[in-house]
Formats: sequence, C-alpha cells, structure tokens
Amino acid sequence: MEHSRPQWTGARVARVEDARLLSGRARYLDDLPLPGCLEVAFVRSPHAHARIRRIDPRLALAMPGVVAIWTFSDCPVRLLQSGVYPVGQPALADGEVRYVGEPVVAVFAADRYLAEDAAEAVEVDYEPLPAYVDLAAIVEHPDWAVHPPVDNRYVHREYATEGFDQAFAQAPHHLRVRFRTRRQTAVTLEPRGAAAVFDPASERLTFYASTQSPHRMRGDLAKFLGLPDHRVRVVVPEVGGGFGMKANTYPEDILVAWAALKLGRPVRWVSDRMESLLADAHARDDIHDVEVAFDGEGRIWAVADHLMADGGAYPGYPFSGAVGETGLAAQVLTGPYQIPHLKTTIDCVFSHKTPLGAYRGVWGPIASFVQEGIVDRVARAVGKDPAEVRRLQLIDQFPYRNPAGLVYDPGSYRDSMELALKAIDYDRWRDEQRRGWREGRYLGIGISVFVEPSAMAASESGSIPYEAATLRMEPSGKVTASLGLGPTGQGHETTMAQLIADALGIAVEDVVVLHGDTDSAPLGGGTGGSRSATIGGGAALTAAERLGEKVRRVAAHLLEADFEDVVLAQGQAYVRGVPSRALPLAEVARIAYTDVARLGPELEPGLEVTARYRPPLPMTFSNGTHVAVVEVDIETGLVKVLRYAVVNDCGTLINPQIVEGQIVGGVAQGVGSAFLEELAYSEDGQLTTTTLLDYRLPEATDVPPVEIQHLTTPSASLGGMKGMGEGSLIAAPAALVGAVNDALAPLEVWFSEIPITPEAIVRAVRRRAEAPR
Amino acid sequence: MTEGANQKTTAEEAVEVALEVNGTVTKVLVPSRWLLSDVLRHRLGLTATHVGCEQGVCGACTVLIDGVPTRSCLLFAKAAEGLAITTLEGVLDDPALQALQEAFHRHHALQCGFCTPGMLLTALAMVRQQVPAEPETIREYLSGNLCRCTGYQYIVEAVAEVLQAVDRGDPAGSPALP
Repeated sequence: MEHSRPQWTGARVARVEDARLLSGRARYLDDLPLPGCLEVAFVRSPHAHARIRRIDPRLALAMPGVVAIWTFSDCPVRLLQSGVYPVGQPALADGEVRYVGEPVVAVFAADRYLAEDAAEAVEVDYEPLPAYVDLAAIVEHPDWAVHPPVDNRYVHREYATEGFDQAFAQAPHHLRVRFRTRRQTAVTLEPRGAAAVFDPASERLTFYASTQSPHRMRGDLAKFLGLPDHRVRVVVPEVGGGFGMKANTYPEDILVAWAALKLGRPVRWVSDRMESLLADAHARDDIHDVEVAFDGEGRIWAVADHLMADGGAYPGYPFSGAVGETGLAAQVLTGPYQIPHLKTTIDCVFSHKTPLGAYRGVWGPIASFVQEGIVDRVARAVGKDPAEVRRLQLIDQFPYRNPAGLVYDPGSYRDSMELALKAIDYDRWRDEQRRGWREGRYLGIGISVFVEPSAMAASESGSIPYEAATLRMEPSGKVTASLGLGPTGQGHETTMAQLIADALGIAVEDVVVLHGDTDSAPLGGGTGGSRSATIGGGAALTAAERLGEKVRRVAAHLLEADFEDVVLAQGQAYVRGVPSRALPLAEVARIAYTDVARLGPELEPGLEVTARYRPPLPMTFSNGTHVAVVEVDIETGLVKVLRYAVVNDCGTLINPQIVEGQIVGGVAQGVGSAFLEELAYSEDGQLTTTTLLDYRLPEATDVPPVEIQHLTTPSASLGGMKGMGEGSLIAAPAALVGAVNDALAPLEVWFSEIPITPEAIVRAVRRRAEAPR
Repeated sequence: MTEGANQKTTAEEAVEVALEVNGTVTKVLVPSRWLLSDVLRHRLGLTATHVGCEQGVCGACTVLIDGVPTRSCLLFAKAAEGLAITTLEGVLDDPALQALQEAFHRHHALQCGFCTPGMLLTALAMVRQQVPAEPETIREYLSGNLCRCTGYQYIVEAVAEVLQAVDRGDPAGSPALP
C-alpha cells in the first residue's frame, strides 16, 4: 500500500475531548442521573488494629431514609488473588480491622447525608490490639504478624549477578546509604467511585466505574458476584484522573455491585476526600539499604540493595503495590548506567496501614531516586562533577542487557543528558553556584537521567499483553473506533484518531473513538504502565490497516483496478497515478453496506474489523534527562525551582502537545513527591493527614515552568511509539532532591529521604551548624 | 442483611431556599444543611460544578458569587440566598469565557478536565478584573485551584494570552469552540 505522508501523526492536534470538558458538559461518575439511586456511606475503622466484638446497627436502622445496613456476612467476598497472595481483603472487615479507614459496615440510604448520619449511629465495639506501623521495625521483627499464621514477609526474593561478591570486594571504595520514600498517594481530583444498576428484564448488571481497566473490572465483578461475564457491562464515564490509583478493584466496588443485585435498586458510592486519603491505594512506602562499590574515577562496579516495602494490611487487588515497586525497582536500579554487578534482596511485609497499590511510575520514582542518589554520592566521594561521573558510565551500546537481565532497546541516553545540560546552561550555573556560596546563597543543580520501562506485556492495568481495536467505517464513510483502553485524561480520543486518520487517509474529525464500555469495546487491558500509545496505538494502526485493505478491495472492484494500485487519501480511494479514477470513501462505504449487489459474489458486505496487537518486545524503554536548578533558603527551608529542563525520548511522537502535557504534569507531581506530599502515620497507626490541608499538593505557585526538548529513537513496535506517561514523575524527584543536596554541599547536608520538607531542611542545616567540626 | 425499619421516611425536613443562579431565581426544598455545591449539582442539575474535596482546598467547586470566585462546598445553600450565583453553565455565552475556552483548548490547558470549570471561572474573574498578564500574578490567582494533571504551565499560558488581549483592548470574543 502506498503511504501518503502522515498528516496527523506528529502534529499538534488540539484535543477532540476538550469541547465537552470546557463547557462542563462532560459527565463524571457522580454526574450520571440514576433515578431512585441509593447512596452508600461506610463505617470505617478508627483503629489500626482491633477485634470487632459487636456491631449494633439498631439505632442507625431506625433513622430516616435508611434502607439497609450490611456487615461482612451480607457480602461475604474476599478480594483474593489466589495462587499469588496468601490473603485477600474482605469486602467489609471480617471480625478484625487491620488499618484505619478499613470499611467495616455499609449503610445504604436515600441520600448521602442520611447515609452518613446513620453510619455515625452504627455502634461498633472494638477491642484495640497492638499495631505494626513502622516498616523498618516490621522487617526486623519476623515474629510480628498481621495475618497469623501467614508469614508476614509475604514476598522475599534474592538475586545476584555471577561474580558479584568478588567484584564488590575488589573495588577500592565503598559507601552505604539508606534511602527512604515516605507514603504518598495519587490524589486524583475526581475521587474514586462506583455505581451499579441491575436490569431485571435483561438480567444484566451495568456497573459504572471510575477505573483505568474496564474489562478487568468486568472480569473481577463476574468472578466475585458469580455472574457470567456477558451479564455484566462496565461503563466508564469521564474519569477525573487515575495515575495508577484507579487501576485496582476495591472492596467498595464489590459492595456497590452486590448491593444493586440484592437490594434491587441503583446504588452509588462516591468517595469523599477523607475516605480517599484513608482508603485509596497508597504508594511509595519503601526503604532501600544500599551499598555501592566504586573506583577512584567514579566508575561504579557493583550495587547491593536490600529493598523493603510496606504493603499495608492486605495486598491491593489484583496486585500489591509493594511487589510492583520493589520487584521492578530491583530490575531497573542501575538505570541508564553501565554497572556490571547487582545484588538485590526484596522483602515485602504486611503492616496495619492502608494497602499499597500503584501511583504513576510505581517503582520508577523510587529507583531513580536511589540510582541518582548513588551516582551523586560517588561523584562527591571522588571529587568529580556529577555530570562527569555520569558521562563515564552512561549506556551507549544497544541492545543493552542490564545486570538484572532486562534488555534495553535503543535510546539516546548520552545525547539526552548533553542536550539537557546545554539547555540549562550547566557551566554557567556551576559558576553562579560558586559565587552564590561565597555570598551565602545556596544554589544547586540536580541531574536525573532516567529510563522508563514502558508498554510492558503484562502491566498492572490488566496483565494482558495486547490491546484490541474494533474499527467500523460507517455507510457515510466516517469511522467509529472502539478500544479497550481506560483513559483518564491522556487524550486517547485524539491520539488514536490521529493514527487511524493517517492510515485511512481521512481527517481526524471523521473518526470517533469510543472507549470504556465493555459492550462495545473488544477486550483490552486498559490504561496503565504507559502502555496505551504503544500497545493501544499498535492495535489502532493494525485495525486501520486491515480496514483500509477492506475498503481498497471494494474500491478496486468498483474502479475496475488492481487492489495493489488503489490508494486511500483525502477521503477518497483512487488509482495510483490516475487521480481522476477516484471514488469518495462515502460512496465506497455506502455501496459496501446498502448496494451490495454491486460488490459481486467475492466481497463480503460491510466494513468492520477487530484487530489485536502484541508488541514484539516484552517492553520498550523511553529515556531522557531532567535538570533542575534550585535555590534553597536555609533559614526557612523553602526551595525555589529556578530552572527546569527536560529532554525526553519516547520514540515516535503521535502528538507533541499531549506528550508535553504529560511531561509538565509529571514534573509538578515530582515537586509534590520531592517536597510536599506525605501520608503521615502516628505510632499507633492513625493517619494524620486526612485533608488536603495536611496532605499538600503542588499549587500553581509551587511548580516551575518546564523547558522541553524531544529526541526520537523509535521503538520496534508498530508506529515506533514508546510509552511516556510516567517518565516525568520517575525523573523529577531525583532531579529535585539532587539539586537540593548539591546546593547544600558546603554544609555537607545529604537528604536520602523524600519528601524533603522545609522543616527537614532547617533541622538538617541547624544540626550541621551545631555539630563539632 | 438488616433492613431499615423506617423505609417510608426517605428524607429529612426540608426548608425552602430561593437561589439566584445564573440570573434566574429558583426555589428549592432542601434540608437546611445541604451545601450549595450539592444543591447546584443534585437539585438544579448544574454538574459543571465539581466536588473534589469538600474541605475548601481544591477549588473544583468554584462558582462566582457576586462575581467573586467562591467555594460552593463551604457554603450552605440557605446561606447563599440573596446572592448572585454564577456557574460555568451561566457564562457559556460570555465572550470572555469563550476566549478562555479557546485559549485552554489551543494551549492544552486541561487533561482530565475535572478542575477545568473551576479554573475557567477563576480565570474569568481575572479577566473581568483586568489582572496584569504576569505569570507570577496569574499563578498567585490560580493557586486556590488545584490541578493534578497539567502542572499548571499551559493554564498559565492560556490565561496570560487572554489577559494580554484584554490589555491590548482586543474584543475578548475570539472564535468560540467548534
């Protein structure tokens, strides 16, 4: 097939999603009209760990508008991923509560106000028990068990390269650091929620879900409700952000669906913000005890890391964030550097805290924070510029097999760093910095060279190593596409339309992209793990190629031309070299559906295909470099980001504007991760950050303008795209922390824990000043 | 399952609230504790106003009250009687709002869109006040509206562009969305 030059792919096409969002006409879950709908309020555990002695709903039941009050026995479901994890969370606590915020009782009432009143009136008698809260202490106490007799260390893995011990021992220098990432969470601006309606006529359940994985949700509901999957329809309305947190199936989802079946009324639950902070998947509660062996040049010979993660009270369903964070961090710990030897030990443990799930980047922000922290410390130890030490060991031969066995496809690791340093004017800032230090000004430059393993064959969003697209050219010649993705603001309706439009020689506005309805979309994995552009895009392209072939066959027959000679462009099918022998696609399509006598006996009526795409590699690595310049005020502990440059390489860009939006948004979340956001627990397991006043998100005044450049090293996947939804949050915390450490070098202050709060800076600087020299 | 004994009582005592919303006075019967955000969304069907935290922090529920950006989740509907309430639905024909929509669209100033109505109303108040088109000033004004997706940069650029047009005295009504 002759390819005309792509008109749409690579162009800054303004999004087709915008009109409804800008006019307030978009419908999110809580906007759906569901007449007669019951609202749910949950009684949640106020204790980190307690036995439930008694639940007395009598007072609550007598309250206005209350329809039902449920405990575990009314919905006896456990979200157990059997064969993978030893335990699963009950839909409602079963005799024992194991974290503050765990749902214990569900109250169904005419509206949320009444449901909350009644939830307040449910009497639950608890016998408090000791709570295990601190990750380091839990790892040190194998006898502490959240689910006795189940081993509290529910995942333990060890790995070492051959010859590790020898290489490590022979290196001339060693250093040791403990890196700590404090608990954070995605905080989508639209809270989590679910609604369900059972239709007794069709005997089908429609489940409205604010989720990233529509088909996975359908499968989970079918499994836990005991319904065949074709009697469950999952519809995903507009979703106000996901960031990995909406990739799970939660106890509340099961409760809502079960209640719609049993109570025979529509049921809806929308999380309030306190519930979100308590009961959305948490993330990033990790410790890395790292030992590094290196030489006098700054070349790193070997890295050993004991990775520990606090998975919370139960494994998130269907995946535990603790396992995702450590398992992949252990494999990308050497990042973009040629470090020959690696030894990792992983321990994931249960605690009396909220279950860990995914938050954008999952392992990546942690691994980058550790990896760049190591390189910066080695540079300081050998007295070299951090950029120089990076140059010594950046990967430049591809494919590259890293010491954990992952194979990196081609990227632009060295070029990205050099370009980013140039963009920021690195040498000038080094001069500024020295001048500043003399004047008591603390400027710092942080470099973060990152790898972003993307489009994994099996990722958290469904463990489905492919995506699917159904494309239909309607009798009008316009195209309806349906995909199994679960976008939450990434603009797939635009980018998928761009790919399809180019493949069919039509305009973006002639393509409508549907998603998030399991009745119309072919089974797909959903959106997560930066897989949509690569795997979903591959499916869209494959389907469009096949649809194009069908259209060309019909056109060839009608034009009495050879199939090979028919070209699709500008909304027409024409014979190559004879533009006058052409048919508008609208005419071809009309005939294919409604004038089928003209097709002859050979051709099948209709123009519709479903195609699936599996990428050729188990994953493809995006890469790039972030450089941050900050000024630290050592009196107030405030950090101001003065400059921020990004060089990003995600292969083929479908839409640079959308890619840039992802980058800037990720950097802002990186500012939150590095400086602001912490889910803080008291010693007895109370979450003390249950409002957005306590869990601080970056505001417009907290984040810097980001300067972006692109490099393009295409992947081997169809279209050459690589995933890029997470890279900016993977890279940003490391760049920002590196910059703060760099600024405070004369004071010999090192931060190895995020977030770095103003208090932490002031405290560390004072401690230094008071320390005997 | 435990069934409610008192299923006939499906609501609590309601009071009449007369609200002036988007230029029209509407009377609704709601319990006196209902928040303005809930009445707008669930009684008047004005779902452009979003609820993100009900803690007065995120700004997704921003409406204009007597022209001033205000969090509708922090106000009882009853307390809003006698005030002029404007939601996004009420300004869709306003040329300045259309200029902002256009600029947001071109600058990719939205992703999931949940914060967008609140952002637009805050920005509209800035345009009406003719705030100087300085990035720092714009960021300061927008700092009460959280966005988790965009990192704010393109919102700031979009608002700056419209404010500059106002500065130049251009008619605010650049072409509306298709």
